[in-house]
Amino acid sequence: MKKMRIKVLFLFMTLSLVLVACNKDEETGVDREAALDNLNTENMPIVKEQIELDIFSGKSATTADDWNDVLLLNEYEKMTNIDITWNQVPADGLEEKRNLALASGDLPDVFYAANIPVSDIQKYGAQGTFIPLNDLIEEYAPNIAKVLDENPEIKKGLTFPDGNIYSIPTVYSPEFPSLLIGAKGWINGEWLEKLGMDNPETTEEFYEYLKAVKETDLNGNGENDEIPLSSVAQMSRIIHWISGAFGVQNKGQLHTLIDEDLKTGDLRFFPTSDSYKSMLEYLNRLYDEELIEQNIYSLEVDQHLANAAEERYGAVQFYNPNELYGEDVGNQFIPGNALEGPDGTKMYTGITSPLRSLGNFVITKVNENPEASLRWIDYFWSDEGSKMFFMGIEGVTYEETAEGPKLLEEITDNPDGLTLTQALAEYIINPGGNHPVMVTDDYFTGSENAPADKEAVGVIEPYLIEEVWPSFTYTAEENEQIIILQTDLSKYVAEMQAAFITGEKDFSEWDSYVEQIEKMKLDEYMEIQKNAYERYKGN
Amino acid sequence: MSKSGMSDKTFEILNNTFLTIILIIVVYPLIFVLSASISDPQAVSSGKMWLWPVDITFKGYEKVFADSSIWRGYGNTILYTIVGTAVHLFVLLPCAYALSRKELKGKKIILWFILFTMLFNGGLIPTYLVVKSLGMLDTMWAIVIPGVVGAWSILVARAFFQQSIPDQLVEASKIDGASDFYIFMRIVLPLSIPIIAVMALFHAVNLWNQYFNALIYLSDRDMYPLQLILREILVVNQMQLNDPSGGGAESLVEQVKTAGLIKYSVIIVSSLPLLIVYPFIQRFFVQGVLIGSIKE
Amino acid sequence: MHKKTDCSYLPLGNCYVPGSEVGGQWMETTKKEVVTPTYNGWSDLKKNIRRNWQIYIFLIPALLYFTIFHYIPMYGVQIAFKNFIATDGIWGSPLIGFDHFTRFFDSYYFWRLLKNTLILSGYSLLLFPLPIILALSLHEVKNKYFKKWAQTLTYAPHFISVVVVVGMIVIFLDPSTGLINRIIVAMGGEPIAFLTSPSWFSHIFTWSGVWQTLGWGSIIYLAALAGVNPELHEAAKVDGATRFQRIIHINIPSILPTIIVLFILNIGSFMSVGFEKVLLMQNDLNASSSDVIQTFVYQTGLLEGQYSFAAAIGLFDSAINIALLIVFNYVARKTSDNSLW
Repeated sequence: MKKMRIKVLFLFMTLSLVLVACNKDEETGVDREAALDNLNTENMPIVKEQIELDIFSGKSATTADDWNDVLLLNEYEKMTNIDITWNQVPADGLEEKRNLALASGDLPDVFYAANIPVSDIQKYGAQGTFIPLNDLIEEYAPNIAKVLDENPEIKKGLTFPDGNIYSIPTVYSPEFPSLLIGAKGWINGEWLEKLGMDNPETTEEFYEYLKAVKETDLNGNGENDEIPLSSVAQMSRIIHWISGAFGVQNKGQLHTLIDEDLKTGDLRFFPTSDSYKSMLEYLNRLYDEELIEQNIYSLEVDQHLANAAEERYGAVQFYNPNELYGEDVGNQFIPGNALEGPDGTKMYTGITSPLRSLGNFVITKVNENPEASLRWIDYFWSDEGSKMFFMGIEGVTYEETAEGPKLLEEITDNPDGLTLTQALAEYIINPGGNHPVMVTDDYFTGSENAPADKEAVGVIEPYLIEEVWPSFTYTAEENEQIIILQTDLSKYVAEMQAAFITGEKDFSEWDSYVEQIEKMKLDEYMEIQKNAYERYKGN
Repeated sequence: MSKSGMSDKTFEILNNTFLTIILIIVVYPLIFVLSASISDPQAVSSGKMWLWPVDITFKGYEKVFADSSIWRGYGNTILYTIVGTAVHLFVLLPCAYALSRKELKGKKIILWFILFTMLFNGGLIPTYLVVKSLGMLDTMWAIVIPGVVGAWSILVARAFFQQSIPDQLVEASKIDGASDFYIFMRIVLPLSIPIIAVMALFHAVNLWNQYFNALIYLSDRDMYPLQLILREILVVNQMQLNDPSGGGAESLVEQVKTAGLIKYSVIIVSSLPLLIVYPFIQRFFVQGVLIGSIKE
Repeated sequence: MHKKTDCSYLPLGNCYVPGSEVGGQWMETTKKEVVTPTYNGWSDLKKNIRRNWQIYIFLIPALLYFTIFHYIPMYGVQIAFKNFIATDGIWGSPLIGFDHFTRFFDSYYFWRLLKNTLILSGYSLLLFPLPIILALSLHEVKNKYFKKWAQTLTYAPHFISVVVVVGMIVIFLDPSTGLINRIIVAMGGEPIAFLTSPSWFSHIFTWSGVWQTLGWGSIIYLAALAGVNPELHEAAKVDGATRFQRIIHINIPSILPTIIVLFILNIGSFMSVGFEKVLLMQNDLNASSSDVIQTFVYQTGLLEGQYSFAAAIGLFDSAINIALLIVFNYVARKTSDNSLW
């Protein structure tokens, strides 16, 4: 009887499997000619007869709940004649849902702002799930093509080892360093004055300042509760500010383990270098003397904001203080300098590549109108389109002034008490979210464009590193190996970094740390990175 | 009987002390949540508020009550919980009852068939494909049906039936000409209120708290259950913290502030219905619910 | 009455209490040798089904559910041995054998992951008796209102989402502003960096879990205790047993089968640690004790879309669970006569 049951069960299972399997791959014959006939290769509308696109999109919590109600997209639908069904996925479930869609073959026409990792673009590009865009860009996307031509490093970073481009990226304009830097270092200017100190220029002066903050009741509340240096997201932001002084991570923030050896010009695994060690020693000194917020490794954003509101911080590495802490507290802060290290190195490495992220617009194989889809996004890369994307509709959200377009007062100073982001949500889908467009300072409304940030950039700019590497691209085989190697290495480096800084591990254990890293197949890892680097240079 | 045991009086004192200590430990964080829900968020996160409310404000509640998506989520959750619990009982009770009857052959195989599902599963993709091929995506059924019953509840309910429904009763009814359907509906179920109450409570609470199925199977925002909406508000995404493509500061601060404001009030609002329901269900615990093995 | 006291110290399953009323009271649990016709073979089964077909109908919804939603998807297990390629589907992806397993076992962190997972799981299992103690204690409370309130309050934390629980832990345990550390400092101690110290992680993780699930976990035992035959207590009272003695000799043996079966069922999911909470509580400093298999799967598997690898690790977990389940069931059967099978 047992056997019988199992047999029946087995039969049932296979049957249903066949059913499930059949359901899956019904590729419709794509009528290419009709689609191309319907397409206008120039100007609006993009298509003669209305078409529909099914788009999977990551949704930032700050944008409108339903993008079908957003003015920008409705206007754009009228302009383009393309009707879009937005399948919006909240950031929380983005990875799961995107992977499910890809793995189950339940594909949309386009993945938009879905933050697809480079390895997946490679994988699904090679499998044919994502279509190559090189030729399409040349033919149908003049604005994107222009950006790629003008910025060869973006094009290099976008091209996979098989020579194909599979995605339209998020690009931060190279002329907009404030955004490329993102969060910046800020010093409490009022406290500097009280202490009679100058804005620190070197790591030693910085140390002196922090020390003075620690020892003085600068907020005058009678308690010794001043916190000299703080940030959010563990130690990484503070390191963005400091690392340049030690010449560490000197090819930008997208590469967390490798950079260039400044002496030899070779590719370097920097977490085992001497300069990295001296940086950790410096940070360890700060931490040990309680100059860095002691709970920085467990600090939550709201705790940080609460401390800031009580005027406890002497220096922070974070976004625009006016935005974060409010005008009263925020106004006390002035931009921090790029710091000069003990051996005279002075550079600022806390900057990302203009090729901010790759996987925010891919066209899948089920898309019957890849040309129209590409044209749809290409418009937002034009000057006009970019203005529309970031500022909305003239007369509704902004007006043209002598100094360029300005958001209307009812947006910036909303009568219903809405914040800028809330007020904009009804009209546009920025800020927030990885949009596959080029962000320029002409129309960007975020805080990185605020006067304080521009001033901060002015201070840092002379010391910014010249070359910033984008993410490298790998072959399928390299990819598989490097994920394993990098997961182990990154984890070990991060944990040991924390341990050295906090004093959990003594620097006498440095050699065994280096040895351990070498044991973790460092040579294999560097071999792959070297190949990828050569390809990047040669592209 | 040994004489070593403590007296009843001592026991009572000790027991009550023990419970009081437990209660203090449990209640403190609850009071904290309650106080935090009407305190200034800044005072909460800076550690100033530690028992009673500081800088009382009802902004959190105002925000919760004004947020239409929270209420829509609330409505959805109530619907999913009621329907889901009903379907759960519909699947669970007959099966558990049948497994408790000695007339049923092959009990052991069936029980193993059920138990085995606790240990192995095919993973996310194949399950997703099944749900999809049944056309359940973006319907209430995707929330209600996957996970409708588990081995655990079947074992519990079956043991109850075994212990509480006497064979003689069923046999006598059969001799009177009653069908199994009739016996189950008219005799067994009325005698099984305690187990129905307990099972319904357990499943309802699980449905109330769960979000993962909704995350995976629903894409229509209007259908999101409360927990998914809350996560969207409360979970400050790491991606957003480190990689805000433009407008990082604003959206970050905004989200942190909203989350801080409603974090605690929303717990109160969202768990109240089940806290109110609980004492009523407790009444049914007059008869025992024991768990048995899968031995026949 | 007096006769029955003889069995009051025996496990309940062996005690026969005649004449109980239907429903309202406890019923005997021994298997009486009811004379049932024995069925042999296929044709007898058919006869049985024909006679009791309605009983078999009762099974259909549940069996259909398990077949469709559990057994059909099980073909997905094979991706653990394959290199899953989405476009080729689960069946079409190339077979690569045990590569994913070796990759996991060879991983630098394998032993650490295994150790941490076992510690966290074992710790929670160690605290398995707490809800039972709470239930036994609550059961003894005479004051109705106190009992009701105590039950409702202990059950309430179950509704607080993990995100908020972790947020509260961070606030309570903050080295400078947290309540616990302020108490420590007030008593003249040094503040402890609970959240960033590897040695504290398992305690914080487990005990906050206990706080959240204690009351919830006791419900099933409370329900079981309600079923203890009051006559046993009456008889024991006549014999002069104290309340504590009656708990030890009547209440605990009565719910022992429940306890054992629940315990074994718990073992069946031994390897699954609440990974979301771990992830929220994890930082670079405590990673050496907070890194568990599930977070590893999340980091290397799910985020990178490596389903095959994740499936292989899932299979490894299942294997451990099953092994433990078999061992514990065997031990339980040998030592207590109560077991899952």
